Amino acid sequence: MHIPDAFIPMGQALIYWIIALIFIALALRWARRSMEEEKIPLVAVLAAGIFAIQALNIPIPWGTSGHMVGAALAAIVLGSPYAGVFVLTLVLLVQGVIFGDGGITVMGANIVNMGVIGGFVGYYGYTAVKNVIGNAYAAAFIAGWASLFISAILCAVELAIAGTFPLVPALIGLGLYHAVIGLIEGGITAGALYLIASARPDILEHPTGVSA
Amino acid sequence: MIDDLYAIEKYAYRESLVHRLDARIKLLVALAAIVAIVALPYSTKVYELGAVLFALFIALWATSRLPPTAYLRRLVLILPFGIFLIGFQVFVKNPYYDIFHTIATLPFGIEVYAESVQFASILLVKFVVSVSFIILLSSTTKMQEMIEAAGRLGLPREFTLTLGMMVRYIFVFADMFGRIRTAMETRCFDPLDRTLPYRYRLHQVGYTVGTIFIRSYEQGERTYTSMLCRGYGANAGLYIGKKPLRAGEVVFFAATLAFIVLSTVLIYLHP
Repeated sequence: MHIPDAFIPMGQALIYWIIALIFIALALRWARRSMEEEKIPLVAVLAAGIFAIQALNIPIPWGTSGHMVGAALAAIVLGSPYAGVFVLTLVLLVQGVIFGDGGITVMGANIVNMGVIGGFVGYYGYTAVKNVIGNAYAAAFIAGWASLFISAILCAVELAIAGTFPLVPALIGLGLYHAVIGLIEGGITAGALYLIASARPDILEHPTGVSA
Repeated sequence: MIDDLYAIEKYAYRESLVHRLDARIKLLVALAAIVAIVALPYSTKVYELGAVLFALFIALWATSRLPPTAYLRRLVLILPFGIFLIGFQVFVKNPYYDIFHTIATLPFGIEVYAESVQFASILLVKFVVSVSFIILLSSTTKMQEMIEAAGRLGLPREFTLTLGMMVRYIFVFADMFGRIRTAMETRCFDPLDRTLPYRYRLHQVGYTVGTIFIRSYEQGERTYTSMLCRGYGANAGLYIGKKPLRAGEVVFFAATLAFIVLSTVLIYLHP
């Protein structure tokens, strides 16, 4: 889902960059103030961990392998959508500049798709579903799935606006593919949350409802 | 991707004219080339600018004395998603052309359009040129130097500090990731092994992800505490010393930038 350079015209790419920068500024403010202490270094190290998590081959039912995004997991565990934004911004910067995975001019769009959508849908999806059904792991599963699925839909819409990929095939292709991958993202988010709740419950910002 | 981390950084530690060039200049030249090729509207003029910029890339890559295979290997790793998007183009109409001519009809009513093939090739040129400059940048510039350069160019210290730490720990976690993978292999566990129940594999991968998360969080806690012990506070930042540019570097930068800007403008204005 990392959009490469040239697939979004310059003008539109700049608009996504502006949106991304607003959320990055908010995420920086979160890292400075909202955690009890200023914990920017901690989140920076965690971002390196998420980078490693994305390297893990994840089985997809029909035999190929996929990769996790991890924004929802970071947002749920650290208790703020901005955790997802912060972590994914760092990861995408490194991926774009060092590896060439995801373009430079379109990085704003990629940050919006994966960091902002991943973080916000992941965190608010999790809290909302947990309040309704009461099961934290089912909530993490649904939030993980939705974060990926909605990111993919937004990615499809952006490519359609850019005129580089028609809307309907993009929605079907990207949407359907990520609807399935999303199940795995959700499953792993729930599994990882279970392990974290068992091993280090103190890490969790909102441990209520999560029981080992 | 994580397996290439060491290879990329090893190339960046080599010696050559391009490697010695100040990272600020390499960062800005790569950015200028990418912005130029992306900003040029979708038209056949992209071929001309693409050829010019690719020639610049080849000249710089040759000067860096890195093997061509290093470039090709990295290119192949990056291409898939872009190639998927480009390959699909030939079957659909896009808003950048008014009239479409069918050049081939496939079963199920799928048609290939001449204009779409042209559009796909334009995208391919833009894509390959942008990716090539990123490969050049990261193969000739150490990560830490790149961050310092970004700081010297005005990136706020919150970012230089966090990126600096992240880059340092990426290598720690790449090692950890390698050990986890070895541990899985010694136990004959492969997440992609289809003879194992799917649910079981997903559980194991989930726990591994949780483990990496906890371990990186704990590493973060330790690092943070030790930084506090050494006087870390809200005003702390990455130390970036002053590094004046040499006259030769300024001349090279001015000439390259002028070359990129002029060729873009001339090709854009040329009827």
